[in-house]
Amino acid sequence: MMLFAILGAEGSDPIDDARSIHWLWPAQAELIYGSIASILIFAAIFKFAGPAIKKAMAERTQAIQDNLDAAEQAQAEATGEAADIRQAAGDIDAERQRLFADADAQAEAVLTEGRARLDQEVAELEARADSDIAAASGRVSDELRGEITKLANAATEQLLAGGAVDSATQQELIESFISRVGASS
Amino acid sequence: MSDARIDGYARALFEVARAEGTIDEVEDELFRFARSYESSDDLRSALTDDQVPAAKRQAIVEDLLGGKATSTTTQLVSMVVGSGRGRDLPAIIDKLVARAADSKDLAVAQVRSAVPLTDDQQNRLRAALANATGKQVNLKVIVDPAVLGGLVATVGDTVIDGSVRTRVDQLKSRL
Repeated sequence: MMLFAILGAEGSDPIDDARSIHWLWPAQAELIYGSIASILIFAAIFKFAGPAIKKAMAERTQAIQDNLDAAEQAQAEATGEAADIRQAAGDIDAERQRLFADADAQAEAVLTEGRARLDQEVAELEARADSDIAAASGRVSDELRGEITKLANAATEQLLAGGAVDSATQQELIESFISRVGASS
Repeated sequence: MSDARIDGYARALFEVARAEGTIDEVEDELFRFARSYESSDDLRSALTDDQVPAAKRQAIVEDLLGGKATSTTTQLVSMVVGSGRGRDLPAIIDKLVARAADSKDLAVAQVRSAVPLTDDQQNRLRAALANATGKQVNLKVIVDPAVLGGLVATVGDTVIDGSVRTRVDQLKSRL
């Protein structure tokens, strides 16, 4: 609003050659002087400030490039480390699998050996038991046979001592002997 | 005692008995005495004990045989015992019996029986043994209760065993 008021107020002044009639385009002289001044300013800037700016830009570019390189290197290192970690994880898993496999194999071997030893011990115990039973059976049989013989002998002796061979039997035995001897020649 | 000495005593006793003309009787009595001697531990120890004087041993013999055997038999046994040969008495008498049998071309047949045999049984047994061995035999019967029953006849090296004792022993052995 203030600008329009100012422009409205200014618009009532008489036309000056030194002043532009266009609201945007300056007066010709001003344009020339301004252009020259601008060129000079730009030239000065280019001459005095350009190297610094150029250097700063170069440094900036280099810094960015360095950052990019560092980031790239970091990424590569991270990738490598990730690969190492994955490999290590894989190695650990393989090692774990190997340890499990070894443990399973050892356990199976121990079980197999234990079963074999157990079977052998059972077989030996059975054989020993059979042998003991046979020996005991034989011993009992021998003892029984011996006892029967002893009893039979005792009974026989007792019978004979008691005069089991009576007179008639004696005579019969004698006659039988004489007949048998007489018949043989 | 050596065999030669036993043979010497047997020959001497045989000649004495034969000279006396009682060889059969003396031989039989001596045989019986020898079997009694073998079966009696007391008699054997009494007649073989060196601590017992010879005269006492001879007195024992005379007490045992006096009146039961011929005087020749008694004197012959007394002589052997008195000379300290009591231990060899059975062997001497067996030699004498064998010599007497041999002089008559007979074989001595020792028969053990649990009971005495009758004359008829002895005659039939003598004939049976002669038939079995092919030799005439001089039968010597020994009553031995250990036989239990039946007979055991020994003629030379031949033994014919029909005793109950042997059968019992065989039964025991089988058992």
